[in-house]
Amino acid sequence: MSRFAGLGAALLGLGLAAVSHPDLAGPLVRALGLQAGTPVPAGRLLWLAERHLTLALGGFALAGGIGVMLGILATRAAGAPLRDAIETLAAAAQAAPPVVVVGLALPLLGFGAPPTLLALAAYGLMPVLRGTVDALATVPAEVRGAAAAIGMTPGQILWRIELPLAARPILEALRVVMLLAVATAALGALAGAPTLGTPIVVGLQNQNGLHLVQGAAAAAGLAFLADAAFQAARALARRWI
Amino acid sequence: MIRDASPYPLALAVLAAASLVGLPLLTLAPNRLVPGLPHAGGPVAGAAAVLALVAGFLIAVARGRPGFAAAGIAAALAALAALGLATGQGATLLLDGKPAAARAALGSGAWLALLALLGLLGDGARAAGRRLAAPLALLGLAALAAAGLGSGVLDHLSLAVEYRGRAGAVNAAILQHLGLSAAALVLAGLVAVPLALARLDGGRAGRIADGVIGGVQVVPALALFAGLVSALSALLALVPALRGLGLAAVGPTPAVIGTAAYLLLPLVRSLSAGLASPDPAVLDAARAVGLTPRQELLRVRLPLGAPILLGGVRVAAVQSIGLSTLGGLVGAGGLGAVVFEGMAQFASDLILLGALPVVVLSLAADRLLSLLGDRLASGRLADTRRAGTRPATGGAA
Repeated sequence: MSRFAGLGAALLGLGLAAVSHPDLAGPLVRALGLQAGTPVPAGRLLWLAERHLTLALGGFALAGGIGVMLGILATRAAGAPLRDAIETLAAAAQAAPPVVVVGLALPLLGFGAPPTLLALAAYGLMPVLRGTVDALATVPAEVRGAAAAIGMTPGQILWRIELPLAARPILEALRVVMLLAVATAALGALAGAPTLGTPIVVGLQNQNGLHLVQGAAAAAGLAFLADAAFQAARALARRWI
Repeated sequence: MIRDASPYPLALAVLAAASLVGLPLLTLAPNRLVPGLPHAGGPVAGAAAVLALVAGFLIAVARGRPGFAAAGIAAALAALAALGLATGQGATLLLDGKPAAARAALGSGAWLALLALLGLLGDGARAAGRRLAAPLALLGLAALAAAGLGSGVLDHLSLAVEYRGRAGAVNAAILQHLGLSAAALVLAGLVAVPLALARLDGGRAGRIADGVIGGVQVVPALALFAGLVSALSALLALVPALRGLGLAAVGPTPAVIGTAAYLLLPLVRSLSAGLASPDPAVLDAARAVGLTPRQELLRVRLPLGAPILLGGVRVAAVQSIGLSTLGGLVGAGGLGAVVFEGMAQFASDLILLGALPVVVLSLAADRLLSLLGDRLASGRLADTRRAGTRPATGGAA
C-alpha cells in the first residue's frame, strides 16, 4: 500500500510541476480568465526549485540529525530529567506557527537564505526530538532487559534493538518535519530567500495570476515529489535492512 | 534535600540570571527601524537575577513540598516584577534627553530572562502538584502585567510606544484574527462530519476522503492559499453571481477555506476515532435495547467519543490560529497583516506586535480546550462512579 501511496504522490508532483511550466500555465491561466502578466521562465523556475530544495533539505538535515541525536541522548538513563523540558519546549514551539517563526527570525537574523535556514532548522528540531523520544519510549522495557540479560552492550541494544523497533514512528516524525521544511522554505520568500514562494509573493503583490499559478503549482509539486522520494527511500530501506 | 533537586528549574534560573547580568538588557536606537546599540542592566536587573536564582532553588527542591513551590512561584513572580521595573526604568533613563524618535527596546538578555522565568513559573506550578497552582500563578502573572501596563512603568519601552501608535489597528487585527480562525474551525467542522461518517462506514468514499485529506497536508500553505486565490477568481469570472453571496478572490474567503482544509485532518481523524471508540459490547447492548442507528450514533457513540474528539478540536484550534496568520498575505487582514507590514518595513516591534498575540492566542486556546477536556473526563468519571453505586434506573437519562 505504501508503495502505491508514494507512486500517487510522485504522479501528482510531476503533474503539478508540468502545470507550472510557462507553456502549460500560460494557456491555462488565460482559459480561466485570470490576469496573465509575464510568465516565470522555465529556467528561472528550475533555479528557484533548486534553491528551495537546498534550503528545505539543509534545514531538514540539521533538524533531523540533531533532533534524533538529542532524542537518543534524552532517552538514555542519564538524560531522563530532560524529558519534561523537551515536552514543555515542544508544546511551546507548536504555539508559534512557521510564518511567525520566519517573521521573528527576520529582525534577529536578518534577510536572506542563511537566516531562513537557521529558523527552519530550529523550528523542525522540536518535532523530531519529541517524535524520537516518544518512539524510543514505545520499546518495551522487558525487551531491553532481555537484550541486556543475553549480554548485549548498551550500544548494541541501541543499534540492534531500540532503533529498529522504533524506526517506523521515527521515520514518520522525520517525514512530517521534511514536509514542514519544504512548506516553511516557501515562506522564506517573505524573508528575502529566493524559493518557489517568491513567484507567489510577487504574483500576489502585482496581481499577476500567471506568477501565482506557476508558483503555487511548482511549490506544491515539489512538496509532493519530496514526499514521494522520502516514501520510496523508506520502502527501499525497509527492504534492505 | 539537594540530592533530589531537579536540574531543570536550576538550569532555567541560571539561564535567567546569566542573561540578566551578562547580556544586554536593552538596546537604544535613534529610530524604530534601525537596530539599536546594546546597554547593560543596572542594580535592579541584578536583584532580578538574585530572585531568579532563589526561585530556581526553591522550585528545584519543591517536589512533594507545596510550601517550597509556593515560595518559589512567589520568588519567580518577584523576579519578573524586578525585570519589568529594570527594563522600564532603564528605558526611561536611556531616552532622557534623546529625540522623540529614539527607541529603547528589550535586548537579548531581557527576552531570554523573560522566557526562562516564564518556564520557571510553569515548572513551579507543576511542582506544586495542586490543581489551583497553575491558575494562581497565571493570575499573579496577569496582575503583574496589568500593574506594569497600568502604572506606566513600561510605557517607554519600544514595544509599548509602537502599540500606542497602532492600538486601534492591532486590536482590530486581533478580533479579525479570532473571527478568521473561528470561521475556519466551523467550516472544517461542518465538512468533517460527513467525512468522518464515511470513514466510519469503512467504504470506498472514506478511503478517498482519507487520501485527499492527507494530500492536503503535503501542500505548502502558501501554495494552497495562492491556488485558492487563482481558483476563486476563475470561478467568479465564470459565475459572477457568486459575488453577490459575498465571495471574493482575495480577502477572508481564500483564507478561511485554505485554513479549514488543513484542519480536516485532525477533526476527521479524531471524530471518526471517537465514534469508533465505544466497546463493541456497549454497541451491542445499545442495539439490543432497541436504539436506532441514529440514536446509537448520537446517544452512545458521540458522548463516549467526546474526549477523543475534543483532543482533535484542540489541535485544530491551535492550527487554525497559526494558519490564519497567512491570511494577511491574501488580503484577509488579521494579525498576519500586522506581521507582514512589519516585515516589509523591517520594523521588529511591529512584527512582534503581530506575532506575540498569535502565540498568546494559540497557547490560550490550547490551555482552555485542554481544561475543558479534563473537566469532561473527570465529569465522566464521576458519572460512572455514581452509576456504579446506584441502581442504574434513569441515571443515564
